[in-house]
Amino acid sequence: MSQVVVLPRVVLDQVRAELRAAAWFAALGEPLTDGDRADADAYARALGLGTLLLGQARDWPEAERVLQAPDWSPAWWDREEAQRLRLLAEAEARYPERTLWTALTELTTELGNTVHGRAGVAAARMGGAAKASVHVAAGAAAQAAYQLALARLAEDAASPFESKFRLFAAGRWPLGVVGSRLVLF
Amino acid sequence: MSDPIVVKTVEDLRNAPEEYREAIAKLVISHAINELYGAQVFDEPAIAYAPTPYAKWLTCRVAMEEYGHHVRFKQLGVQMGIPEERMMPGVGKRPLSIFEFPLKTWQEFVAIKLLADLAEILQVEDLLHCTFHPLRNLARATMPEERFHAQFGEDFTAELIKTPEGKATLQAAINEYFPYLPSFFGGSKSKNNEIFRKWNIKQRTNDEMRQDFMKRATEVTTKYGLTLPEVRQAA
Repeated sequence: MSQVVVLPRVVLDQVRAELRAAAWFAALGEPLTDGDRADADAYARALGLGTLLLGQARDWPEAERVLQAPDWSPAWWDREEAQRLRLLAEAEARYPERTLWTALTELTTELGNTVHGRAGVAAARMGGAAKASVHVAAGAAAQAAYQLALARLAEDAASPFESKFRLFAAGRWPLGVVGSRLVLF
Repeated sequence: MSDPIVVKTVEDLRNAPEEYREAIAKLVISHAINELYGAQVFDEPAIAYAPTPYAKWLTCRVAMEEYGHHVRFKQLGVQMGIPEERMMPGVGKRPLSIFEFPLKTWQEFVAIKLLADLAEILQVEDLLHCTFHPLRNLARATMPEERFHAQFGEDFTAELIKTPEGKATLQAAINEYFPYLPSFFGGSKSKNNEIFRKWNIKQRTNDEMRQDFMKRATEVTTKYGLTLPEVRQAA
C-alpha cells in the first residue's frame, strides 16, 4: 500500500512565489530573444513534437487569428493533455486527492485576477484586442500555472510545463502549434 | 412581517436569530456545492470539446471562475463555522437534477452557458440586496463573472447558428437540456423560500423567478432564431 503524505507546503510556496514574480504578458509583440527561442525549443522537444519552426504574432488581432486558425494542431493540445493526466495520476498517488485538488483549485483561483489584470493591461497598452481575448489570455496563463504546480508536485523537472511556464514568466504567451510552426506572442 | 434585520458581518451573524442563521447557512452551502458541480460536470469537461485553442482557453477561464465561485462561497461558509465537507459534493446534499445531464458535445455546453448561466444570474441577482452583507457582497462580486459566462453562451451561439448544421445541433442540445432547467428554481410551495423572503435574504418567490427565467430564456433564444421546447412547470 502506498504511503499517503500531506502536500509539501514548501513546493507550493515556491510555485506561488514564481507565479507572483512572473512578467505575465509584459513582452507580447516584442522581438524574440535567444532565451525565448531556447525555451520554445525545449517546450516543443519535451512534448515530443521535435523541432518546429518558430513563429510570432506581433499584435492581438494576429494572435486571435492564430488561436482560431483552421490548421491548428490538435496533436499539440493532446500531448499536453496526456502529460497533464500523467502528472495528475502521479500526484494523486502521492497525496490525498481532495487535499491536492483543493490546493490546485485555490492556487489557480488566487492567480486568476492577477493574470486577468495583467492581460487587460497588455491589451489596453497595445490596443486592438477583442474583449473576450483578455479572458482567453487569463485562461491560458492559469492553465500554465496549474500545469506547473502539477509538474512540481510530481517532481518532473523535465516536464514541458517547466519551459512553457518560463515563456509566460518572460512575458510571452505560447499560442500553440499551427501547421509546422510553434507560435509565440 | 418580521422586523427588518441587517447583518453586516460574519461576527454579527452569531447574534442573529437561529432561523436567519440557518437560512443563510443553507444558501451558502447550496451555492458552494452547485458552483462546484457546475465546474466539475460541465465547464472542465467542455475544454476538451472546444473547437479551437481560443475557445479552449476561454472555457478554461470560465471553469476557473466557476471553481473560484465555489472557493468564495466555501470561504464564507468556513468563516461562518460550516464544516468544509458540508460544502463539497458527495457528502449530504444531493446534486440538483440539472447536474445529472452528461455533457457530450460542444453544442450542449454552449446551450448550457446560454440558458443555465442565465438561470444562475437570476439566482445571484436575488441576493444583490440580501440583508446579510457578506453574502450580498459575494453576490455582487460574482455577478459580472456570471454575466460573462452567459455572454460566452450568446457569443458561441452566434457562431454556431451561422451554418444550418450548427444551428440544428444547438437546437437539439437546447431541446434535450432545457427541460431540466425550470426545476432549478425550486418548488412553488418551498418552505425555505418563504423563510428567505421573510428575512429579506432573497426577494422573490421561486415561481416569480421561474417565470422571469422563462421570459428571458425565450427572449435570448428567439434573438438567435432558436426555440424552447415545451416543459411542464414545477408544481
